[in-house]
Amino acid sequence: MAKSYLRFWGVRGSYASPFPTHLKVGGNTSCVEISVDDHTVICDAGTGIIPLGNKLAAENKNKDLLIVLTHYHWDHICGLPFFVPAFIPDWKINFFGPGESIQEIKQNLDSQMQAPYFPVGTETWMAKVNYIEPRETKISHGPIDITYYGVHHPGITYGYKIKAGNKTIIYVSDNECQFLDKSIKQKMTEFSEEEQQMFEAMNREEYEYELQSIQGADVLIHDAQYTPKDYETKRGWGHSCYVDVVNYAIDAKVKELYLYHHDPYNDDDAIDNIYEKSQEIIQERNASLKCFIAREGMEIDLD
Amino acid sequence: MSDSKQTVIVVDDNTTVRKLFERSTETLAIDLITFNSAKASMGYLSKNKPDLLFLDIIMPDKDGLTFLQELRKLPLHRDTPVIMITSKDYAQDRTVANELGALEFITKPMPMRAITDIILKYINKDNPY
Repeated sequence: MAKSYLRFWGVRGSYASPFPTHLKVGGNTSCVEISVDDHTVICDAGTGIIPLGNKLAAENKNKDLLIVLTHYHWDHICGLPFFVPAFIPDWKINFFGPGESIQEIKQNLDSQMQAPYFPVGTETWMAKVNYIEPRETKISHGPIDITYYGVHHPGITYGYKIKAGNKTIIYVSDNECQFLDKSIKQKMTEFSEEEQQMFEAMNREEYEYELQSIQGADVLIHDAQYTPKDYETKRGWGHSCYVDVVNYAIDAKVKELYLYHHDPYNDDDAIDNIYEKSQEIIQERNASLKCFIAREGMEIDLD
Repeated sequence: MSDSKQTVIVVDDNTTVRKLFERSTETLAIDLITFNSAKASMGYLSKNKPDLLFLDIIMPDKDGLTFLQELRKLPLHRDTPVIMITSKDYAQDRTVANELGALEFITKPMPMRAITDIILKYINKDNPY
């Protein structure tokens, strides 16, 4: 039986950043490959899907792929026009993502490959392309089972819960966690005592829902785009500060956290600093969480 | 439920938000009906057109924007007055909500007075408050 693994092909947020100062972490945008018993699920189709597509095409064995998209911002779909397996006959590419209908999902992907933005459209894809009905609540691809839930990011954006091999993986590329908590704290003095009590209850309930979404995950891959300083000016942009993410993962008793969707402004040294500060939080809280920086080429064993 | 009262529906998975609406509208002469999910509200909304519909955006079973898209396809809800309620205040969501004909977009935490004000803005102005 083939080895089961998760591999990071793109770990950046916003835009590709192939700068010499960034290459220890990697410059490609969001893309993660999950492979179990020769079944492949790809999370997001940022520029990281380009080298992944080249590898899959060269191997030429696992020709039925499922691509799940968290949303349709460019950094999550811009690798698709260069995804070689889509252009090979006898391959099958299945797509799933947010949308009200198959036509909407198809349109979201078609539009980035239309003139004048790209010379050839999706009608040139020679693989069999299948769009999965967005009303499905559970998707399976071979032995890999996937469910999803809404997260805090502009537009409808999904987080995915993926059961693969012996692990439960939660993939949340873009999410501004604890958003309501900060909104309430900012405005608390404007409210009556009764309202304050209700908002505290509302916040507890909201956080409980957020925790349940990732509770007990073996692997959490989560947006950690900002430092506390970044977040001072970028609150409401739909991304998390790593400090909140580390605390969130500890509260939810996650086993392994991979900080992901790194800001292109942050070079390798800045991300090393995020790693060190994250370890300090874990130590201060005396938590058992293992925290890593998601880097291009990093593999997680799923056996 | 009295035929003379106007009906306001709230669809939000957060229990406290639903309680907040109940508390805020105690003095209004309206029928307030709350549901904890899009799915739970569909039995009612497939047959009834409320005078005002509040929809949360992030809900476990279906997000409010997708739900509104579906409702707009039903002749009954082509012009149902809708207000989005959400904790995620993003410009892209406002644009989508506007395109779907939502009247307004209110963000959590919203004080009780804001809830009564927005209800009175869109339902019968003679409502005794």
